[in-house]
Amino acid sequence: MSWTTNLLARLSPLLLPYLVLFCGGVFLTVCQSLGVLTPLPYEGGLLDAYARILGEPSFFSSFGFSLWVAAASAAIAVIAGTLLAYRVWQLPRRLAGAALIYKIPLILPHIAVAFVVLVFWSRSGILASVCHALGLIQSMQAFPNVLYSGWGLGMILAYSLKGAPFAMLLVLALLARFDIRQIQTAAMLGASGTRIFFTIVLPRLAPAVHTAFIILFLYSFGAFDIPYILSESRPGMLSIHVYNLYFKHDLVRRPEAMAILTLMFAFAVLFIVVYSKAVRRLENGVRKL
Amino acid sequence: MKHAATMLVLILLFVLPVIVLMLIALAPGWRFPDVWPQAFSMKGIAYFLRHQDRILFSLGNSFLFSLLTVLATLSMCLFPAAVFARTEFRGKALLEGLLLTPALVPPMTFAMGLHFVFIKLALAETLIGVVLVLAMFSYPYMFRALVAGFQTMGEKYRICARNLGAGPLMTLWRVELPLLMPAAVAGGSVVFLVAFSEYFLVFLIGGGSVASFTGTLFPLLSSSNRSLAAILTLIFLLLPVVLFLVVDGVLAWTYRKKGLL
Repeated sequence: MSWTTNLLARLSPLLLPYLVLFCGGVFLTVCQSLGVLTPLPYEGGLLDAYARILGEPSFFSSFGFSLWVAAASAAIAVIAGTLLAYRVWQLPRRLAGAALIYKIPLILPHIAVAFVVLVFWSRSGILASVCHALGLIQSMQAFPNVLYSGWGLGMILAYSLKGAPFAMLLVLALLARFDIRQIQTAAMLGASGTRIFFTIVLPRLAPAVHTAFIILFLYSFGAFDIPYILSESRPGMLSIHVYNLYFKHDLVRRPEAMAILTLMFAFAVLFIVVYSKAVRRLENGVRKL
Repeated sequence: MKHAATMLVLILLFVLPVIVLMLIALAPGWRFPDVWPQAFSMKGIAYFLRHQDRILFSLGNSFLFSLLTVLATLSMCLFPAAVFARTEFRGKALLEGLLLTPALVPPMTFAMGLHFVFIKLALAETLIGVVLVLAMFSYPYMFRALVAGFQTMGEKYRICARNLGAGPLMTLWRVELPLLMPAAVAGGSVVFLVAFSEYFLVFLIGGGSVASFTGTLFPLLSSSNRSLAAILTLIFLLLPVVLFLVVDGVLAWTYRKKGLL
């Protein structure tokens, strides 16, 4: 057996399912978006489904809205997660065990985190009650309509709450190997706390920060669970749009759902490639110690 | 003072929601504008006990397919992870990047394409179908963990065992797997959580036939029965914690017994 065959054989437990289920699944999605292999024979031309969704202004507003929710929530989660991780890392040993409470939202499923956001932020929720008790508002209606503002704030809150501990986890894993003497030296040379964080700590955390951002951004961009509970009717997230086309409409519209999925997949791949390239270019410009 | 502030933020963000959920579980009638519930009652818990058969069945089912997903990802990734940790070949970085994409791209994009074929193959609405799809987008976590595990372990133990006359299978079973357990548990915990808390894919592929805990919880979240929803959410939190503690305990106990710790 040649070396390559041997290598392929040992990789096959992963390569086969990858090719059949993942690549096969994406291939079928693309096929169905073109009207091939659909449950019902499709009458239209190959690119009809694309022409139809791209002709609707609602697609572009959904796309933009998904981008906004994903970018805002990933940014909040990564920034909050990194800062919190840095503070948790500095905690004395006796508090380090208690700080593990940050893992709670990691365990909670997305739909439960969405429920928590509902409980806290709705007009009849906990925060409204607290504002009322403090005399800030007189009635429910006076509490800002956070969940139905048209800006997707509810979803952003839920994704941030779920995502911040995830970013913390990745950042803390890097901090565990961080040489504390670098900070001590900088402090002795007179650097301020902020200066130390931005010029010494942050550049070394960059790999974890970028990984967390990519994962969280793409997850919020394409996931279904949280939007299904917290979304507002218009503009909707793309995933909800696909769900409606897939389950609530005629089978004739199946290619349109698949066309949106294909575009989402293409965007995700493009995002990964462009983002990693940009990061690599940025990091080449930074002087390494 | 600084540390107290850190702890306060952590508690407000991550523990307060749990406390509020507990209060909702015990006080179904808690409404605006009360900052603290006016009355506590066991109504929510009684309701839970009345429907416990259905709820516990879905919990058991979720537990089952999540564990099967962990086993599936482990068997998919074990040998390839060893290859990635030990062998250099052309296109390795590219292949690794490609193999990690299923965790990044929206899982809907391949799962909905598969759905139709799964129906044709009678895999839809079965436990196996659900496990296959869940494994397909959660395996990268197992893969990363195992590659790291193999790298930390190095080749010394394997070479030593082989020199002493152990065959490849014996080496894997008696030497490498025990040493890999911490990495496998780390990767497996993430895979378990991803599978256990997924709602949409289980709903899509499992349809109505594969009961799941998320599927039971979902309709309750927007219903008026907030108390029951809170109770189920708390179970959701408790079960993985208990599971991880048990696994950690068993692992530490075996290591100590074998004198590895």
